[in-house]
Formats: sequence, C-alpha cells, structure tokens
Amino acid sequence: MEGRKKQKILIVDDSEMNRSILADMLGEEYDILEAEDGVQAVGILSKQASELSLVLLDIVMPKLDGFGVLSAMNQNGWIVDVPVIMVSAESGSKQVERAYELGVTDFINRPFDALVVRRRVVNTILLYAKQKRLIGMVEDQIYETEQRSSLMIDILSHIVEFRNGESGLHILHVRTFTSMLLDLLMARTDKYELSPRDISVISTASALHDVGKIAIDSAILNKPGRLTPEEFAIMKTHTTVGADMLSKIPVQHGEDLVKAAYEICRWHHERWDGSGYPDGLKGDDIPISAQVVALADVYDALTSQRVYKPAHTHEEAMRMIREGQCGQFNPVLLECLTENAEKIRTALQGNNAEQIQQRNLRSISEEALRGEGGAVSERTLRLLDYERMKYRFFAAMSDEIQFEYTVSPCMATLSAYGSRMLGLEEIFMDPQHSEKLIGIVGQKTIDKIVARQRETTPENPDSSMEVLVHLNGESRWFRIITRSVWTNDVPPKYAGLLGKAIDIHEEKMKLSELEKKASLDPLTGLLNRASAREQIENRMLIHPSGNFALAEIDIDNFKSINDECGHIFGDRVLQELAQRMKHSVRSSDICCRAGGEEFFLFLEYNTDIERTVERIFNNLCFELQGRRVTVSMGVAQGGVAGLSYEGLYHAADLALYTAKEAGKNRFCFYDDAMKEKGETV
Amino acid sequence: MTLNECYAALGGDYNEVISRLRSERLVQKFVLKFLEDKSFDTLVAAMAGHDRETAFRAAHTIKGMCQNLSFTRLGDSAHDLTEALRNEWSDSADALFEKVRADYIATAAAIDRFKTETGL
Repeated sequence: MEGRKKQKILIVDDSEMNRSILADMLGEEYDILEAEDGVQAVGILSKQASELSLVLLDIVMPKLDGFGVLSAMNQNGWIVDVPVIMVSAESGSKQVERAYELGVTDFINRPFDALVVRRRVVNTILLYAKQKRLIGMVEDQIYETEQRSSLMIDILSHIVEFRNGESGLHILHVRTFTSMLLDLLMARTDKYELSPRDISVISTASALHDVGKIAIDSAILNKPGRLTPEEFAIMKTHTTVGADMLSKIPVQHGEDLVKAAYEICRWHHERWDGSGYPDGLKGDDIPISAQVVALADVYDALTSQRVYKPAHTHEEAMRMIREGQCGQFNPVLLECLTENAEKIRTALQGNNAEQIQQRNLRSISEEALRGEGGAVSERTLRLLDYERMKYRFFAAMSDEIQFEYTVSPCMATLSAYGSRMLGLEEIFMDPQHSEKLIGIVGQKTIDKIVARQRETTPENPDSSMEVLVHLNGESRWFRIITRSVWTNDVPPKYAGLLGKAIDIHEEKMKLSELEKKASLDPLTGLLNRASAREQIENRMLIHPSGNFALAEIDIDNFKSINDECGHIFGDRVLQELAQRMKHSVRSSDICCRAGGEEFFLFLEYNTDIERTVERIFNNLCFELQGRRVTVSMGVAQGGVAGLSYEGLYHAADLALYTAKEAGKNRFCFYDDAMKEKGETV
Repeated sequence: MTLNECYAALGGDYNEVISRLRSERLVQKFVLKFLEDKSFDTLVAAMAGHDRETAFRAAHTIKGMCQNLSFTRLGDSAHDLTEALRNEWSDSADALFEKVRADYIATAAAIDRFKTETGL
C-alpha cells in the first residue's frame, strides 16, 4: 500500500478561509480539491467522482447549496461510491435528518477541531474502502475448491457479524442448530431425502444466511430502537441482495454449496403460512434448507442478547416459537425441536474449542480486508475511468452539442464542444429560465422542448425537432434529438433528458432550394401545375370564406408563332407573358404555367372582379419584336363555381372555351348557362 | 502584542482555538487571513441593498469563520444577525447589523495592530 497515489478529498465551502483551515488540518496526506459553490462541486464530481475518496460539504452556499449537491450525487449514483461528510455551523435537527436521508455519512460541526476532523475523515474513507472491497470480494472471488469456499464463507459471515454487532457465536449456533435439526428430521421422516453430505453442505451454507447485510447501512443494521417501516423495508432487502451476490459468483466447484446458500439467503425469512418475505412462499415451497435455518435463526436470536432486547431463556424461547410469536414453522420441524430441546440446549452451550477457532478466523478475515480485496475495487475504478475517457473522447471528437438536463437539481450540463459553441457554462442551473440560453434558442424553442418532453413516456422516450438558433448574430437551423430519462419508481417519474443538437443549416438550405426548384416551371419560374394546385387548395382551406377566382389563360395561335418565328422566340413569348402575369397581380396571388401555352392565375379579390380581370387581360396582350401576342381568358369565381380546385378549374376551362369560340383575344366569365352547355359538350 | 493579547482585544478565546487547531502557527496564519475575507464587504452591501439572501449567507460565512477562529464576540453577533435574516427580514436585523459592524471593526483593528507590532 506504500507509495500509492494520495487520496483525493473535495472540499466544498464558500469561505476560502474555511476551505483553507480544513486543507491545513488534513495536511500533506491527501490531495485536496476545492470548490467554492455547489455548481463547481457538481462540475468536479461529474469529471472525477470515481477518483474522489471523500467530499467535505458545506450546507449554506450561493448558487447551489449543499442539499442541491447531495441530490445531484444521488441522481448520478455518486453517493454510492463517494462518502460525504457535512461541514456546517447549521445544527437544526431537520437539516441533519434531511442530510442523512440524502446519504451523508457523518457530520463535522464548526468550530473545527483538528483531531476530530482528521479522525472522521480517516474513519469514513476506511469504512467506504472496506465496504467496497467486501462487496467486490463476494462478487468477484472464484472459489476453486470447496474447502476454500468454506473458508471464504467463514470469513464473510464473520465480516457480517462484525457489522451487525451480534455475538460472534450467532453463526456458529445457527450452523450447529441446523446440522442437528436436519439429522433429527432425517431420523423422523424420509420426506426430504437428504444425504449426510447434503446436510453438511446446508450446514456450511447456513453461515451465509445474512451475507446480504453487507449492503445494508450500518445505521439501520445497528439501530437500537424499533425500525421505521422504511428502514424495515431496506432491512428486508438483505435476503434478495444476498441471493443476488451469490448468483453472481462464477462457480466451478461447489455448485451445490452456492445453490444451498442462495436458497438460504433468499428464503430464510419465509414462513410456513406464507406470511414471510421476500417471496411469500408457503409450506414446502420453501426449500427445507431455508426452513431449518429460519428456525435456527429465530431460536438463536431469542436466546441471545441484542441491542434492542435482553436474552430469553431456552424455555421462554421454545414457548414463544411454539406459540407462533415469530411466525409459523413446519410442524414436523417443531416436533423435532420440542422433543430434543434439552439436547439442543446442551449442544449450543459447549463450544469453547470452536470459539478459539473462531478467533483465528477473525484475524484471517481482518487480513483479507487489508490485503487482496483492494485489487477488486481498483479494477472497477479503472473500468469506470476507461468508460468515462471513452465517452469524453467521442464527445470531443464529434462536432455535436451534447447536453443533459436533470429535474433535481434543476441543472443543465453541456459537452465541452457545446459549451464552446454556445458560449455557455458547461454546467448551469435552471436552464428553463437562463437568460443566456433563452437569448440563443429563444423562449419558443424552450417551450417546444418542454411540450415535447411532456409527450414522452418511458416506452417512447425519444423526440426530435428542428429549431432555429441564434449564434453570433446569425440564425442557423439545428436538429435537436432528445431522450427522456425516467426513475425506477413505480410509476416511473420523469427525471430529465439526454440530448444532442446537430447543425443542419446547410442541409436544410439545400433541401429547401431543391423543394423550390421542384415546384417551379424551369422556363418561366412560375409554379408548376402540381405545386400551384397544392397552394390553391391550402389557400381555400385556410380562408374558406374568401372571394377567389381562377383565370385560365391561353396564348392565341401559339402554334403559328412557333412555326413562323421559331421556338426560341416562342420561349421568349412564354417568358414575357409570365413576367407580365406576375406584375399584374399581388405577390400573394398564385401564378402558374400549367403546361405548353396554358397558364392560370388564382387570385383573391375584394371589389370589382370584372375590372380587375380586364386590367390583367390588357396587360397580357403585348407586342414582342413587332409580333402582336394576344390571349384568351376564362375566369371562374368561387362564389359561382363552388370552392373546389376541380370545380373551379373545370368552370374556368368552360369559360375559356367560350372565349375561344367567340373568336379569341377576349375574356369570358363562367356562368351557370355554361354549366349546362358544358354538360352537353 | 502577542497573539494571546490580540485575542483578548478582539473578544476571542485563545485557549480554545489553540486546543482545537493545535498549532500557534496555524492560528496566526488564519487570524491574518481573516482580514482578507470579503464577506463583511458583501454583508455591508447586501444590508444596504436589502438583499436578504445574500446578507444571510454573508453573515453565515462570518459566523462560521469566527467559530473556527474562536472569535467569540463577533461570532455571537454574527450568529444573532444570521438568525434575524434566516427566514425573513426581522425588525431587529438592522440593529443587529450595527452590532456586527462595531464588533467587526474592533476585531479588524485588533488584528491590524497585532500585524503591525509583530512586523508581519
């Protein structure tokens, strides 16, 4: 352990002097990082939480206070790996309670006492390091021989005992009791078919029944008073946690041992009538191993002194068990117990020789704590570091603005690139009301993101939108892709979002250019028929009460113009007419070349449509290079022909036909008389 | 003027601070550093501008430093002001601030004298 890197401690306090006093007290043994407010602290944590051994945290600070930092640590799971000691002059019990709820390990009150500070810091760091290594040991060790397993079991179960503050004999008692009761059971019934080896395996595995307690907070584990319902709920998880740890052990030998241990861990709080936990199993659905250990556990608990109760006598304990005060047990097991009560009592009283062996085990387990276990947590840390490095590398390499938002604390985090691009801090509070952010993306976009987030669900968390962003006096299009993040609660709660913003300005500009091109007639620059139709239909949809007219226009004798003057001249005639159409109407009206020499106009009018049409008609007859060009026009009004594109177009066509019939070079309005005529035609 | 005398002049508890920080060198270092802290300026401005939250935090910071340095007198008056500003602007806040101001000036004067006389 010598020559290792110094452990890092983060001191968060808004007073430079206080930080400095703490740093001086801790002295040269640690690497000290400092943050002068909560936002800075979260920034440092988000970059190097896994490197920190401890955080000393003030409560009252500007920007983000100590509680805010704690909720960020919970949100990101940092609180699991990084212990926090609260440092404050605040001593209100509500605040202390809240801090403990948020996972604080300890408190240091002002004024600081150098010895207290050093001792608390050392203790907390050691405690966390041990706990990390213990969990790592259970999960990572490969048991090569059954013997080795048995040794490991002893070590682990004693570690659990140390944390429980129970008498060191509990494990031994449960083991002896289990072994005896199974022997008695086999003598009484052949229902369970256990070989002597099975009994030995179950007895050995019984030592692990409470191994899940490693993961339970010692404040709950060793609480002298009654547990609150919340605390009891946490306490109960030691069954499933223990079983999970065992199921993660890569087993080569001794599968039956691990299997028995799994059953015992998970189900030693089940009861015969189904009233136990975690699964509420009933009767012989509970493996016999777990049934026996449950009884052994209860018996020994009753006859031992605990922090919360004195010891009961053997007789009292037997009575309480038979009366069902600790839940219902298998009647056959109870019979075995009752009939052999005296034998069991004697067996449990005399194991002095084994007590000596137990002291040896104690020193072995302490050695294990100091030694090899460390490698496990180091490896985990390295993996974490690697993942973080990988993430930062890819984030830095991609020209994307990546961001995160958390509801509690209400905070936004930007990737380094994003922060540079937008000129915003990497971390800032309350993004919805950040004036700088609103200045860049606009209130509307923020409202839009919020609205879209409300539509997401844990099943459909993704959303994508295109927004205009204002940067350095320029407006650019960005696509924002987000994924909402939900808690594991039932029902899940919205916790924030992950997202990125991609600059799609060039792409978008190109696309809209293409769209525009596709909708225009290349020769005249007027709309083509399809896009004109679409726009006309939209217009009528938006203003169903508007006065609309559609004019269909044909160049008279265009074929002979082409024949006599050539196609190039013909094209120029078409272009000239298009220009004149555009200049004759308002920019909001729609001009279209429908094909060949056929054009049409869609216009909205307020007053005298006849005079308007006459003015347009006059503008559309012109002279080009000495050649006279005239047109025929058929006009249909929405009020007469009805408001549909098809209807208007058909009516205008009939009117145009009438104008041509009448000798061209004129315009004609559609009326109902034409309708009848049209039907006959 | 010794450090002990300086503590007597500013209404602090020299024995207590030595028993906690365990080094006269450290105590002296932080006593001198006290003059550099800007919390008092922040407090004066916040009181004038009726900015309760900032004033509360500044008073709180001064209280914390005083506790650490065992500047009992100023620490007590900063404590009273902190409580008067914690949830609302109490009627007594302005009067308590005047007490803090007086104590701060006396404390700063004592430290200043100690600094000059010891030639630091």
